[in-house]
Amino acid sequence: MTPAPAPSFRDPAGCCCFFNQRVLRFVTASAIAEFEDFLQTNCAHQFIAGKKFVSTRRLNEEETATLRESPELRPVFNAQPIGAVFEHERIPFPSYPHEWAPEMLWNAGRLTLELAQAALADGFGLKDATPHNILFRGSEPVFIDALSFERRNPGDPIWKPHAQFIRTFLLPLMAHRLWNMQPADIFFTHRDGLEPEEIYRWCGPLERFKPRTLSLVSIPTWLSRKADPDDQKIYQPHLLANTEKARFILESLFKRLERMLDSLKPVAQKKSVWSDYMATHSYDDPAFAAKEKFVNEALREFKPARVLDVGANTGHFSALAAQADAEVVAVDLDAACAGAIWQRAREQKLNILPLVLDLAHPSPALGWRNGECPSFLDRATGAFDGVLMLALIHHLLVTERIPLEEILRLAYDVTNSLLVIEFIEPKDEMFRRLTRGREHLHAALDVKMFEQACTPYFEIVRSLALPGTHRRMYCLKRKGDGN
Amino acid sequence: MILAYIDPGIGALIWQTIIAAFVGFLFYLKKTRRWIVEMFRKIFLRGGKKQGAGFEIPPPKVEAKIDAK
Repeated sequence: MTPAPAPSFRDPAGCCCFFNQRVLRFVTASAIAEFEDFLQTNCAHQFIAGKKFVSTRRLNEEETATLRESPELRPVFNAQPIGAVFEHERIPFPSYPHEWAPEMLWNAGRLTLELAQAALADGFGLKDATPHNILFRGSEPVFIDALSFERRNPGDPIWKPHAQFIRTFLLPLMAHRLWNMQPADIFFTHRDGLEPEEIYRWCGPLERFKPRTLSLVSIPTWLSRKADPDDQKIYQPHLLANTEKARFILESLFKRLERMLDSLKPVAQKKSVWSDYMATHSYDDPAFAAKEKFVNEALREFKPARVLDVGANTGHFSALAAQADAEVVAVDLDAACAGAIWQRAREQKLNILPLVLDLAHPSPALGWRNGECPSFLDRATGAFDGVLMLALIHHLLVTERIPLEEILRLAYDVTNSLLVIEFIEPKDEMFRRLTRGREHLHAALDVKMFEQACTPYFEIVRSLALPGTHRRMYCLKRKGDGN
Repeated sequence: MILAYIDPGIGALIWQTIIAAFVGFLFYLKKTRRWIVEMFRKIFLRGGKKQGAGFEIPPPKVEAKIDAK
């Protein structure tokens, strides 16, 4: 198995690889002492205990020697003088900033600042500040780039990743606040976030002079225009003799960034096309209760450990799955819905990871040689024991024009066991609303045809017509080998 | 020393340096204010105990003990 690179190979102090279901960090000989010193700090202990920092252990000589002999890892050992190998805990379902709701980006920013402040107290500095350092375990952020800490010079009052923190956290959140841009709109094409110059061009003359914009965008833009790009003095460290003063300056910088971040906190429950769906959907109470009971029974019977809820909306059924002790990944194309799920998961302490994702256009592989962020389907294939596809199929069939067999094939690839799917007949009110004069395309679609399409991939465990609707719930069990 | 491998920006770095200079000035103001407060405290709290380096504001418990004496 060829080791797949993880997003931290840019750091000259080491790199990270996935190998045989393990997350391995290869640290260069010159960086080991500092790395181990950091792992012994109060900051590291406190954040590891709080599950906000990835737990890490050093492999012993024997384990490292075994890895050295592995031909797949030889290029990693040969690329740089590796002094030691560490193993990190594996975070269940990796997700990336381009799949997050703005609330999640904000939360990742908070964790970054908390860590930078705590490390400062222990004499360490955070040497990069990007959302790619963070994954989510359920709705909680976890800092995974353990090598991002370095002993700081006590006299240095400058935080070099300041600009990166602004580019990757503050300016994307500002773009969300001002123009409703989502992290996906930014991070798909801008790995390192937004430059102040870019935002400056988008701002009107009045916006440029508002205090927050002035500090984050306009003044840095004006200064960079005036600065001589060849002047290397700008980048030289300005060390102070008074270390107490240097620390005071850094502490005040972190507090200022924290205030900025708080002022950019995404507004909760922002209205969107789909965020009101639970209040306005077409079911009456008995039909919805029957649907809820059906899903609950399927979850209790199959007891899936990992569930993917596709088209999760505000997460009603994701919450049911999480309450049945499943680790849930809830995806919806609407960022406001994903944000609402994140809020709900945190408030109710539910193990749900919400992601902004359109199943018809799932996240592709991104980064260098498409290896830094694997595609959503690469991560999802075979990763779940249960899949929920509720009130979704008509959107895929009609709006996206995905053939029924393709939809079932995808569900087959993703789940190892259970599929709960809601079949919606073409005469259903919502189905008709989507067809917009194209009814003839789905004239042949009925329950019989749907069940026939399921047969190669799934065994029908049971089904239930929802009273007063043209919808039918199916509990399907994956067959061993689909055609 | 932090040897950054990330882009520190130009404008944002200069702006941070300017703010750092200003905050550095505030550091001395704050220190002077503390020194003055401490001096007044020493003058008006007759018989008060010596407080460490002279810049520390004593915690309330210690003050209560001093008053009781």
